[in-house]
Amino acid sequence: MSNENAMLTIKNLHASVEEKNILKGLNLDIKPGEVHAIMGPNGSGKSTMGYVLSGRPGYEVEQGSAVLDGVDILALEPEERARAGLFLAFQYPVEIPGVSNLEFLKAAVDAQRAARGEDVITSSAFLKEAKEACKQVNLPVAFLKRGVNEGFSGGEKKRNEIMQMLLLKPKLCILDETDSGLDIDALQVVAQGVNSQRSPDRSFVIVTHYQRLLDYIKPDFVHVLSDGKIVKSGDASLALELEKQGYAWLQTGSTAEVDA
Amino acid sequence: MSEWLKQAIAHAEGVNDWFAPTRSAAVQALSAAKWPTRKTEAWKYTSLRPVERFKVKTDSISATTLVENIDGFDCIDLIFNNGQCDFDNKAILPAGLSIELLANADKSTQAHALAKFSSIKPNRHVFGLVNDALASNLVYIKVADGADISTPIRLTSLLAEHSQVHTRVFVEIGKQAKVAIFEHYQGNVESLNTGFVEYDLAEEARLEHYRFALQTGKAVSLGGSHFKLAEGADLNSTVVGFGSDLSRLDVDIIHAGERAFAKMNAFYLLNGKELFDLHATVEHTVANGTTEENVRIIAADHAKAVFNGRIHIHRDAQKTLAELNNRNLLMSNNAEINTKPELEIYADDVRCAHGATVAEIDKQAMYFLQSRGIPSEQAQVMLNFGFINELIDEMPNQALAEWLRPQMRARFAQMKVN
Repeated sequence: MSNENAMLTIKNLHASVEEKNILKGLNLDIKPGEVHAIMGPNGSGKSTMGYVLSGRPGYEVEQGSAVLDGVDILALEPEERARAGLFLAFQYPVEIPGVSNLEFLKAAVDAQRAARGEDVITSSAFLKEAKEACKQVNLPVAFLKRGVNEGFSGGEKKRNEIMQMLLLKPKLCILDETDSGLDIDALQVVAQGVNSQRSPDRSFVIVTHYQRLLDYIKPDFVHVLSDGKIVKSGDASLALELEKQGYAWLQTGSTAEVDA
Repeated sequence: MSEWLKQAIAHAEGVNDWFAPTRSAAVQALSAAKWPTRKTEAWKYTSLRPVERFKVKTDSISATTLVENIDGFDCIDLIFNNGQCDFDNKAILPAGLSIELLANADKSTQAHALAKFSSIKPNRHVFGLVNDALASNLVYIKVADGADISTPIRLTSLLAEHSQVHTRVFVEIGKQAKVAIFEHYQGNVESLNTGFVEYDLAEEARLEHYRFALQTGKAVSLGGSHFKLAEGADLNSTVVGFGSDLSRLDVDIIHAGERAFAKMNAFYLLNGKELFDLHATVEHTVANGTTEENVRIIAADHAKAVFNGRIHIHRDAQKTLAELNNRNLLMSNNAEINTKPELEIYADDVRCAHGATVAEIDKQAMYFLQSRGIPSEQAQVMLNFGFINELIDEMPNQALAEWLRPQMRARFAQMKVN
């Protein structure tokens, strides 16, 4: 397998949380512009993958590597990974009262622009961009003034995550069950946000339980994660098959081949 | 008794005006009382040496500072310039609001005031008694029943160097009346002031209150805000403290009528060798009252913070809801935060909670900010400031919040961490 032009290459990744092994030899190869969906039963390691890649404290890498656009990110601090182009849309975004959404977004954009050697964006220019991003994810502009996620509903938090993605313009976006808890309208807003960002030099990893989101965001590949590794890969039709049959048939044939 | 107090008493004995009965009662109480030492519970962490050492060097000169203009904050200004108050703008007052300088008031107004002053401020506050004895230029503010005063009233105390000033105000808020009052104390010159304000809220009166105790440096400040809430009255108070050689504030909230609601947010941000001491006492004497108290403290460098939060629920105060939340952040090993929440409950059907924590930075929030590219040091600053900013966000007056926020931010940026 050649990694010459890969956006993200994960090799034999083993990771644990509180001394419990969760990822047990994960391999994944994502090229620029591709959308990969990761499905799998509860506890298979889907969220752990995002946390390990983004550097969440408490998630220990035991073996393996993850290279993002030529940079081995596992040795970096979380903020350095973000500046290298990684973005994780959280399943449960935290609330930070007292830090306004706008202040937070500006600080994030400033930090990333500085890391890329770009000029500081003026407050007024940024406000304009932020307002547009708000509109795009269908959040009232007043949400910029509120504390980060403070008192937001589940759906509003998810849309706020997508807004951050729109403003930060990462190279690789991991969406961790961004569809969970969303009604159909919010789901479409999220999907439109993602689709608007699809481009030949940006890739997506969509972690989801349900085929539903994939009706709106068409994946190039679908992988099934089970017990810490990918046990089956295929195209979009695999998701439909899983929807029909569940995961049980995969586990019985535990020697399922990996056709990456 | 300290030399300073002896002089104060001698000075008070020379004053013979309409307020004399209260003055002499206070002098008697002071003469009988023990001068507080570090063994006195209410002064355990706060030394009175800056008071004992204080010497008045000038008399009746004006302060050199000016009253600050706050963008977007239109207010009725009542200025105590080195204790002198010469409010003569009665013409500008909205209907339902009266402000009386009692020295010039008629006998019946003075008699009414004499009965009111010190009826709310408890007598246990030593410097409250000092204020009783020495206050000059007493002011009486009255909001008529049902009046909705949309323009806030600002009380500003300006101090000249080496001066000693005692200001005193009584605010009577009529039934279903509504008003906002902003007590503003500032300045850093070597000085001593006692500033006490009493608030009497009638049935269903609403008060939006701010006390910004922003004296710093060598300004010694000893004061109090004391509230009595009649049935259904509503108090929303924000207290901000910066700290100086000695800053002490006593707040008393008395639920005298049922179904009153009191909210107090207090936050202090201390640096250098500053000291700020807040003693807040809430008395639930009757049933069905609610109190929400949030106190947040950040202390850096060699600063010292004291917070004593007492909630006293009397035997008849059934169905009281009272919450006291105190969170503290120590930014230096040499800083000190002494906090003591005290719940004293004699009724059996109440819901009370209190908590005092020395906050740790929320690790989840840290990771979240970092995961967006924000460097950890910056994320820490954002979160620490957010801890205070959360309470600034809750201030009902936006203009005041917008004015205060950058000052707090600047002060926070200068705080010495080690």
